[in-house]
Amino acid sequence: MNADEGRPDIETIFHAQYERITRVIARVLRDPSRAEELAVEVFLKWSRNPSAQGENAQACLYRVAVRAGLDELRRESRRTRRERALGFFRKSPTPEDVRASREDQERVRVVLAAIQARQAELLVLRTQGLSYDELACALNLKPASIGTFLSRAEQAFRKEYIKRYGQQ
Amino acid sequence: MDSNKDQWVDERLAELRPDERWQPDVYRGLARFRKQGEKVRDRKQRWGWLVAGAIAAGLPLIAVPSTWASTRAFAQRCVSACVGQSNWVRDMFVHNVPSSVYVKPGDRRMAPDFVLNDASGEPVRLANFRGRVVLLNFWATWCAPCRIEIPWFFEFQNTHWSAGFTTLGVSLDQDGWDAVKPYVEGHKINYRVMVGNDDVAQLYGANSLPTTFLIDKSGRIAATHIGLSGRGEYEADIRTVLDEQ
Repeated sequence: MNADEGRPDIETIFHAQYERITRVIARVLRDPSRAEELAVEVFLKWSRNPSAQGENAQACLYRVAVRAGLDELRRESRRTRRERALGFFRKSPTPEDVRASREDQERVRVVLAAIQARQAELLVLRTQGLSYDELACALNLKPASIGTFLSRAEQAFRKEYIKRYGQQ
Repeated sequence: MDSNKDQWVDERLAELRPDERWQPDVYRGLARFRKQGEKVRDRKQRWGWLVAGAIAAGLPLIAVPSTWASTRAFAQRCVSACVGQSNWVRDMFVHNVPSSVYVKPGDRRMAPDFVLNDASGEPVRLANFRGRVVLLNFWATWCAPCRIEIPWFFEFQNTHWSAGFTTLGVSLDQDGWDAVKPYVEGHKINYRVMVGNDDVAQLYGANSLPTTFLIDKSGRIAATHIGLSGRGEYEADIRTVLDEQ
């Protein structure tokens, strides 16, 4: 008896989940086209891991997606810091950069890149509308402790935000 | 539990909602997914073939004794290429080889005789050099340490010729004179060079290059240098053997 029998194939899951997964990543990143590229990488990574393709496929995909997005966000954040440090090498900002930097989105992204990875993952997936059970499944946490983790993550977010931008 | 949620944080996080007009293109994503998947498969396949090819090529070379000489020559060529490029590789592979052995006159064995043709086609017999101290150098044009030693041998030939000293070079290049002649002419080598073969190399046990023997006036092996020895070591051995009665 083949264990794969009855399991939907990878492309069917791709069709069903691609949009949601891309939206999770696009919440974190400023550039939607980069989010689409990363979503494909998420599916590739997931498709190479047979143990991630069981009943919890969706949860695994969310986990990999939010991590990929946050990793990319941190990379961007480090790059920006480096460019600021090397002020004379910095390119002049494009109108798009200027507009984006004025938006509150950018502040939220900076704060997400600064707090603990697990807390940022939890907050991003929560804003995507995942239930506590889905969050627990995606992040390998006990469902009963999700409330506590979420509360701590929110506190950490608020603290970091106020530290950087003040109470608004 | 939901009632405990921090409204302020939710409002901030809601800023991250992507533009509602933006729609991820599933079909473009799927095409990308297939293409990248194929790339990964191709890469794995290429590595698989590479490993299989290396094993398929290596096994017969190891299993069939008649190919050992060419395998060894190839390996030596690789090491020599590295040695020629980098000092630390030379230090690692060459300087650590016990390179110089001087034998006291009472313990020496006879140097096996051989006849090989020189560049002009004239036969050269080792036994004809009895009465002279002979430095017999096994080398090859591709061997980087050999190329380092050759200028020293020029000088020894010039300096000690009149004292009864001769240098002979035996090249073990598989391409024979095609490789050796241009090198000898290009570098104006001032001593006789012959092209050797596996039989002569076996007689002397010259398993690696360079290997050099110092043969005394009675035709016995007085010193053996395996690998790249120091110039001073050669000089000291030559003087010692020349001074022997």
